[in-house]
Amino acid sequence: MLLSRVAESLYWINRYLERAENISRFVEVSEAMSLDCPPGSAEPWLPLIDASSDRESFDKRFPEKKPNDVINFLIRDRLNPNSIISCIQMARENARQIRDVMTTEMWEQINILYWNMQEGEAIWNKPRQEQLSEIRRECQLFYGITDATLSKDLAWRFSILGRLIERADKTSRILDVKYYLLLPSLDELGGVLDELQWIALLRSAGAYQMFRKAVQNSIKPNSVARFLLLDPIFPRSVRYCLEGISNTLKMIDSSPPPENPTELECMRGLLKAKWSYIRIEDIINDGLHEAIDSLQMDLNKLNDLIQEKYFIN
Amino acid sequence: MKYMFSSYQPKNSFDEYFKDNVNSAREILIPLLSSLDNMGIKELNRNHSAAKKLLLRHGATFRLNDTGLKGTERILPFDPLPRIISKDDWVTLEKGLKQRLEAIDLFLDDIYNSQKIINDGIIPRELIESSEGWRPQMIGFKPPLNKWCQISGLDLIRDRNGDWHVLEDNLRCPSGVAYFLENRLVMKNIFPNLFSGRIVKPIDEYPSYLLKTLQELAVWTDTPKIVLLTPGIFNSAYFEHSYLAQEMGIQLVQGHDLVCNDDYVYLKTTSGLKRVDVIYRRIDDDFLDPQNFRKDSCLGVSGLLDAFKSGHVALANAPGTGIADDKMIYSFVPKMIKYYLDEEIIIKNVETYICHYQKDRQYVLENLSKLVVKSVAEAGGYGMLIGPHSTTSEIEEFAKKIKKNPRNFIAQPTLELSTVPSLCDGELYPCHVDLRPYILRGKDSWVSPGGLTRVALKKGSLVVNSSQGGGCKDTWVVGK
Repeated sequence: MLLSRVAESLYWINRYLERAENISRFVEVSEAMSLDCPPGSAEPWLPLIDASSDRESFDKRFPEKKPNDVINFLIRDRLNPNSIISCIQMARENARQIRDVMTTEMWEQINILYWNMQEGEAIWNKPRQEQLSEIRRECQLFYGITDATLSKDLAWRFSILGRLIERADKTSRILDVKYYLLLPSLDELGGVLDELQWIALLRSAGAYQMFRKAVQNSIKPNSVARFLLLDPIFPRSVRYCLEGISNTLKMIDSSPPPENPTELECMRGLLKAKWSYIRIEDIINDGLHEAIDSLQMDLNKLNDLIQEKYFIN
Repeated sequence: MKYMFSSYQPKNSFDEYFKDNVNSAREILIPLLSSLDNMGIKELNRNHSAAKKLLLRHGATFRLNDTGLKGTERILPFDPLPRIISKDDWVTLEKGLKQRLEAIDLFLDDIYNSQKIINDGIIPRELIESSEGWRPQMIGFKPPLNKWCQISGLDLIRDRNGDWHVLEDNLRCPSGVAYFLENRLVMKNIFPNLFSGRIVKPIDEYPSYLLKTLQELAVWTDTPKIVLLTPGIFNSAYFEHSYLAQEMGIQLVQGHDLVCNDDYVYLKTTSGLKRVDVIYRRIDDDFLDPQNFRKDSCLGVSGLLDAFKSGHVALANAPGTGIADDKMIYSFVPKMIKYYLDEEIIIKNVETYICHYQKDRQYVLENLSKLVVKSVAEAGGYGMLIGPHSTTSEIEEFAKKIKKNPRNFIAQPTLELSTVPSLCDGELYPCHVDLRPYILRGKDSWVSPGGLTRVALKKGSLVVNSSQGGGCKDTWVVGK
């Protein structure tokens, strides 16, 4: 038995931390790319803002749009609700609400992470790549502690659900960064720079080694997109996440499926089927960006249906 | 080696470490003093910062204000020098606390039912019915086990002679117990060497006794569902609420997690509504049930009082106990003990003047600069005048308040609370302390060994409340 409010908090704690982790991946990929960009070529900074759908609020506040503005906006800006620091603060607020349900070790981890992000803490004196990887490590430590100390009951399942939904969304957005980046200069496609960027992208998705292992061939846009979207066993791929989401939802709802499936039930099944059985060629032919866009809308819808069924009563 | 206390100057008040100067330590302190000397002040200070970090990591924080997400969050200042109480002293205190609570519970049962103590002229009816803690809704009600106060925390102090007194009865939602438990944890973690050479009475059973006490209230089932009801994360004691829920393995809930149907209380869960048997509520009476108490409360649960009164759910503490921690009713506790138990009071009250009475009021108004005046219904060190530390205009202002609403004020002589050496800005300094032991009453009574020692960490300050900048110490009950 799990309180609706508690289920919602667990779900969001994991979404927020996964989001913080992924934003650090975003920034990391762009920083690495920018070092390889010749002056005057497409700078990788603004696509980051586009990929997280925060362009409007960014432009309003930072009309000069300097790379540093982007980085601060994404990492330390308390006014940006999707910045790393905001996500961690929200995660901790939620965690504070349900400390009694989390294990002490989970709580302490999230609490330490929060205090480490405050002004004047040592982390901010480190080089940026170190900051980012420290943030990422601390988020991953939280997942590890969760998996190692929390009983595999409903509380755990809602945690996983939040984590997977956010991960599916963010993996697709990381791919989208590249799409935005390439948009202004399609003539560079296929060049050396292009390959470097794909490598940077794979690294930031934590996927480089696993991609190499799976695809023993030169790096082509199609194969990267296929790997990040459709790989059946890579834990950050969209397909893997959607299958996990589907299984988790089935286990949360222990009642036998009704004759007329509910909307949530339909969404769960259709999403899983779509991303398990589609070919990358078909996605590319119909438009990669469009496919990613529709995935994100579907995930939002899924979120709303979960909210309606389990969190409000 | 330099003696750690060589520059320590005890005050005029009773110092719990030293008889009159640093060369005459109290016998029971000797092992601790030698461990402290081995450590040295430098390491003490270093470990002190480690202790603070540990408290922060555990999240043992409170919020100073209610300004939302940006509210300042702090740890309760923690002082590393423990306060030590001898076993002999403790045996007497424990007996005195049980006696006091027994009488208070009989009093509560009496005034909400047969009202003998009023009819026999011991306490005037007008004083009862004019109290802010009085809940006429409870008249005629008998709570489970006939007990009203399952959880209480009384404030004790030692006077100039080292004699113990009860300063206040906290019978509604006394807080601080999590700090009491957490302090011991921190001491064991950071200062293990200080424990060597003696046995400190363990306190870890508190959550088990609390759980047992709550379970016993559900007289209708052997498998009670128990929850802790909190106002939420903006409450300054929220850390404690979640800490206790976790220690007991029960659910921490907010008002909107519960719903009442046909005088039963249910939890809203991901698999529908589930019945609740016992609620340890950390919400004041006023906010508990908008249908029966304050209409504008959004913290409580509509219909909760009816569910309680129909015997389908137990509430700890029962609504209405606030009448007995009215600071004026406090002055009648010695009479209650005589009346209900036919015993003499074991831990004395502090002499109290009741401004409601013309004679007392006149004395108080003439001697305001010597007295401490308190508003009867306020807690947390608010609504107080400390005569000797106040300006003429503050005193005049208070005189006006007293004349305007005499029922609302009592006065007590200024007490020099006992002192214990504490770290102030890295040095040892005698700081005033009080003690809040916790008393649990289910089928049996249980008193926490020791309690939360609150300490006025500002040099010269007499106010120990955390809301007023006070801190806390670990408290050890030790044998010889």
